[in-house]
Amino acid sequence: MTGMAEAARFDALFDHILVGDADAAVAAVQTGLDDGVPATSLLFDAMIPALEEVGRRFETGEYFLPEMLVAARAMRSTMALLRPSLVASDVPAAGRFVMGTVAGDIHDIGKDMVDLMLEGAGFEVIDLGVNVPAARFIEAIQEHEPDVVGMSAFLTTTMPQVARTIQAIRDAGLRDRVRIIVGGAPITEAFALESGADGYAPDASSAVRATRALIR
Amino acid sequence: MTMTSRERVLTALSHEEPDRVPIVIGASNATGIKMGTYRALKATLGIEAPDAYLYDWPELGTAALDEATLRRLHADVRGVLDLEPATILERNQARPAHSDYVNSWGSGAVEIAPGEWFPMVEPLAEATTIEAIDVYPWPDMDDPTRIAHMAGQVDALVAEGEFAIMVTPWLLFPLERAFAMQGMDRFLLNVALDPDFAAALLRRIAVVCERLMDHVLDAVGDRIDIIKIGDDLGTQQSLLMSPATYRSILKPVHAESIQAIRRRTDAKVFFHTDGDVFPLLDDLVEIGVDILNPIQTSAGQMADLGRLKRRYGDALVFCGGIDTQRILPHASPSEVAAEVRRVVEALGPGGGYLLGAVHTVMDDVPAANVLAMVDAAVSTGRSPVHSR
Repeated sequence: MTGMAEAARFDALFDHILVGDADAAVAAVQTGLDDGVPATSLLFDAMIPALEEVGRRFETGEYFLPEMLVAARAMRSTMALLRPSLVASDVPAAGRFVMGTVAGDIHDIGKDMVDLMLEGAGFEVIDLGVNVPAARFIEAIQEHEPDVVGMSAFLTTTMPQVARTIQAIRDAGLRDRVRIIVGGAPITEAFALESGADGYAPDASSAVRATRALIR
Repeated sequence: MTMTSRERVLTALSHEEPDRVPIVIGASNATGIKMGTYRALKATLGIEAPDAYLYDWPELGTAALDEATLRRLHADVRGVLDLEPATILERNQARPAHSDYVNSWGSGAVEIAPGEWFPMVEPLAEATTIEAIDVYPWPDMDDPTRIAHMAGQVDALVAEGEFAIMVTPWLLFPLERAFAMQGMDRFLLNVALDPDFAAALLRRIAVVCERLMDHVLDAVGDRIDIIKIGDDLGTQQSLLMSPATYRSILKPVHAESIQAIRRRTDAKVFFHTDGDVFPLLDDLVEIGVDILNPIQTSAGQMADLGRLKRRYGDALVFCGGIDTQRILPHASPSEVAAEVRRVVEALGPGGGYLLGAVHTVMDDVPAANVLAMVDAAVSTGRSPVHSR
């Protein structure tokens, strides 16, 4: 295949993710793999840049939740095809991330967006779900040894659980083993740092940047 | 000159300065107080009253404030609410403890922690076709037990003549209903994948809502002051959907429901919409919104109250404005009072402002801060209010 055709292939896949066309994205990935294009190329030269563009458009107000959800869905629908090749090619994950909403909080849409953006950016994400007690975060740190733990709180009434959860991780002697990043509607950077977190992100796409910065 | 509460509210609604800034608290869920803080208030004030809930709905968790507490809070507006049909109320009262609460729409809530309920029963979660919308058993809005009590309550308030009357039928918010029926993420995904389906679901919901609204207004529309509708359109920093999407699938629904209201009442249209909705305010003015609530000052461009007042102060009355994300739960009473002064000075000049908390006062708000809010409004909200 010529370089120009190869570039057209990546451009098309980039566009499918950007507009959230899952069927076209899956077909393009399948054709690419069939033609012998490395899964890593498809991922790093087309799909991750597309997701980064989605994040950029979200931050600048060109994209809103529906556009972001549909792009993330397109990305996720290709992962079943890509994952075996990625495992075979032994690509190291960008990092391992444990995510959950704090005890008492079951607002999942923001958490799910963070999962998708991080997965898209090459992180291995372990999602503990919603309403996660501190003990469950502690177990997950021991079991999965993540680089970063993310926790979100949507309500002012559940915000105090952030500090309590971080304190419990400290009491368990695990605080030095992980970086902790916090987000959610009422949360500010000052609150996150006062609660004992290392970082803060106001939305899913900045969560990727902030997470990268934490483990650099 | 001291005004009655109703005169005070009507003066502010006609964009003139009343004797002091009117206070809206306890009249509906979004302007209400959760049960924990209500209990603390009653204890602080030495008031004995039962723990009653708005809409007779314990799972919502918002208190129906007793009259003594309402008076102590200087509440200028009284709420009149509908009810779920008697059969549904009875079914839910009789159901096993901790089991899911399901309302007449077939949507409902799950107990996620003792006494805390979250909407997770989503009967149209998997629906993606117009046919699924057509065959769904939509609620019977003609059930007379929904509204039978309302005329008497309105008549009593009219006879008393003291307070402005706001009516809030639960929950005639089409987008919010679509989220309740499908789940927020699934519905927003459908907005992107199949806008025709999303629009059809919103229209179907709006038809059901309008049926109930018609009955409510036929019963009381000629003697109420404010009718509340809405839809949460904003997020902490932006909008839930693009202005273009709003204009194509939801704005026509909102416009039609306001036109239907106008055919039946002269009451002012109170539109509740959380978050940073600044980019949609021209649209809301255009479709006939009179009162904008809750002015979430912690969200994006809504923080700039001076700009809001300059640009929209002639077209809209603002209701809310006292922050529930940082100030009310976390600040000291004197800081609450200072914030009240700041907001009143920004939004109060020339009338057109009803003071209230931005969202339901949650259980993390100390009773002292609720009292500091209303007392500061009474002491510093006196006319004339000038920006300093």
